[in-house]
Amino acid sequence: MEKTEILEEVNMIFRDVLDNENLVITAATKADDVEEWDSLSHIQLIVQIEKNFKVKFSTSEIRDWKNVGEMIDCIYSKTNP
Amino acid sequence: MKKDDVFNETFCVSEFVYTGFMDTFNDRNPLHTNEDFARTLGFTAKVMHGNILNGFLSYFIGECLPDKNVFIVSQSISYNAPVYLNDEVNLKATVTDVHESVKVVDFKYIFRKTDGDKVASGNIRIGYR
Repeated sequence: MEKTEILEEVNMIFRDVLDNENLVITAATKADDVEEWDSLSHIQLIVQIEKNFKVKFSTSEIRDWKNVGEMIDCIYSKTNP
Repeated sequence: MKKDDVFNETFCVSEFVYTGFMDTFNDRNPLHTNEDFARTLGFTAKVMHGNILNGFLSYFIGECLPDKNVFIVSQSISYNAPVYLNDEVNLKATVTDVHESVKVVDFKYIFRKTDGDKVASGNIRIGYR
């Protein structure tokens, strides 16, 4: 799966979890940019992403992400070994 | 906790539990307070509040898990059959997934009466620290 496709699916997950059908995230998006993206919704986002892409992240991987783009890179590396 | 771990706990919807719930939340709908009204709707007696089961879930999460440092992230419930005063219900909760990245455990659960009838089921997601 290409990174653009991953971003599309991640965007859909964000819209569903954060209950915002108009939300558009990009590779540069950070948690501070999205009002609904708080610590509790972050948990729901990560769990849903893990389920959707059938991957598991480590705590350190998540901690190192600076933006959605780095999250996408991580998903890409796990789904394209 | 790990995937497929199972936890069981039994509860009684006693007079104490019933009146405590009703006095706290003031839901005195005749379905819960009037035997004749409940029977007109096809029930055999006044029906206990469904959210009493959520109270039992709160106890289960807060007091029955191996780790006390937990919190509820989300939960759902679907009701399948009525519960009546003094019914005993068994809660069986099974770990369906563990997400160590965000320290979350997912459960599916079922409440059954002692005769085996399913009264409610759902999912709970808890976080731990």
